[in-house]
Amino acid sequence: MAPDQWNAVALDSQIRASSSNPVIVNDYALALWRSASGEVNAWEDRCPHRGMRLSLGFVEGEKLRCIYHGWGYGPDGQCKVIPAHPDLTPPKTICAQRHAVESRYGLIWTNLAEDPHARLPDLGADDGWEAVRSIFLNYAVQDARKAVMDDLVGWNGALSDGDVVTLELPDGTTLAAAFQPVDAGSTGVHFVARGPAVSAEGRHGLARQVVQLRARIENN
Amino acid sequence: MTATTDPVARNEWIAAGWLGQIAPGASHDTMILGQPIRITRTGEDSYRISEIGEDGSEGRELPIQTRYTCIFTTLGDPTRPLPEIHEFDEADRVVVGCGNVGVNTSPYRLVENFLDMAHFSFIHVDTLGATDKTEVLAYRTEHRKDVDEIWAVDCTFFQPAASKAVKGGQMTRYLYRVMSPFSVMLYKNISEDSDRNDAICVFIQPLTETRCLAYMPMAIVDNENTAADIADFQQSIFLQDRVILENQRPALLPLDPTYELPTRADASSIAFRRWLKAMDIRFGIYEKQAA
Repeated sequence: MAPDQWNAVALDSQIRASSSNPVIVNDYALALWRSASGEVNAWEDRCPHRGMRLSLGFVEGEKLRCIYHGWGYGPDGQCKVIPAHPDLTPPKTICAQRHAVESRYGLIWTNLAEDPHARLPDLGADDGWEAVRSIFLNYAVQDARKAVMDDLVGWNGALSDGDVVTLELPDGTTLAAAFQPVDAGSTGVHFVARGPAVSAEGRHGLARQVVQLRARIENN
Repeated sequence: MTATTDPVARNEWIAAGWLGQIAPGASHDTMILGQPIRITRTGEDSYRISEIGEDGSEGRELPIQTRYTCIFTTLGDPTRPLPEIHEFDEADRVVVGCGNVGVNTSPYRLVENFLDMAHFSFIHVDTLGATDKTEVLAYRTEHRKDVDEIWAVDCTFFQPAASKAVKGGQMTRYLYRVMSPFSVMLYKNISEDSDRNDAICVFIQPLTETRCLAYMPMAIVDNENTAADIADFQQSIFLQDRVILENQRPALLPLDPTYELPTRADASSIAFRRWLKAMDIRFGIYEKQAA
């Protein structure tokens, strides 16, 4: 049973319209795909037909098509198209495994629980958040969190611990780090920011600092 | 992995090398079903195969047959002989060996991919399939009990370029034949008026449950192209399939028909999985984790 817990799995801006992308969270492989109209979906990365990874599939309008046999699935997970039998209405039983997904604070979040009740972490207003940078660290999530906290302590700002680690910079910008447990030895850290420093130039500056943070952690 | 204890898998003949792979006097270390083995070419046409022990020394000697451009061996006592494929005896055919290709999946995913027509229009675009002609017409499957083989008959599919010899699109007729859990072949009618079919085999060497080498001997009717050209065409097709095969999950084959859901076009895969289940083979099979 998957825990009832939201995890950031990507920067919202990284998941392009009409694309399907592989993501791993807690050892579980997801296909994170965005339809042409912009809807994000988080599905088990496995076609129900013959197990092909759906993250290698292609998006056609509001459907995700498996690359192996072209089976097409709607946003409800139902198979709508089986090209081998153009006149067949696919049975209802052919359905991709969907998972809860939300876009908020410039991040995409998933919850793998069957019946999720947990709330997303509260970072205040949803508007104004901009992507900074994702990094991956070769640590389990609790060690990655500690390493990031230990580094951010040295930055100029007010640090708060939580599901999401935040740093209030002197100019009023909030930098937030959300953690994606990948597997026992790997964690994704997705940085977003809100406030005066999120101009394009400011974001590049923050992104450079995040890359330097990763270098310091890796050299420790 | 260590050598499988599955008696069903151990009692099959398995391709372990191709003729010409090993120079006379030389030897080659490889593995079948998790068991390290050494193939020594003792003469121009003679070989010896032994198990390799944990200390690296040669142990038990294994049976050998050389046929269809391949070297076959077994860890057990085969209940079925090597298949008879008389096309390889016809003098005017081009017989092509193609060496082998490594594929990281279970042997049965390879067999099923080879039996499958529905992927032609997506994976082999403009050769074996066309994107606007995707339909798989009804065909029949048979369990031929006298030889204990699975056949798929009356198969047809539209192909823009069915082989190196064909020019232009056509409805190609196929006959598929699964001779063992680790070997499959097809007969392919490449021209409407000919009753001489190309014979294309896949013999699979399972190194472990999820790592294989595939050998593709062919006996082709083709007066124009060289063996190298024919091999090149087949290799390019196979490399397109490898990308698919290495991205199916799980790599092991699930036999539970509710875990992977088939449609009519998968009749041959359905028959193959039932046949594997009935023979109670365990090697390379996915056992679903208890929830």
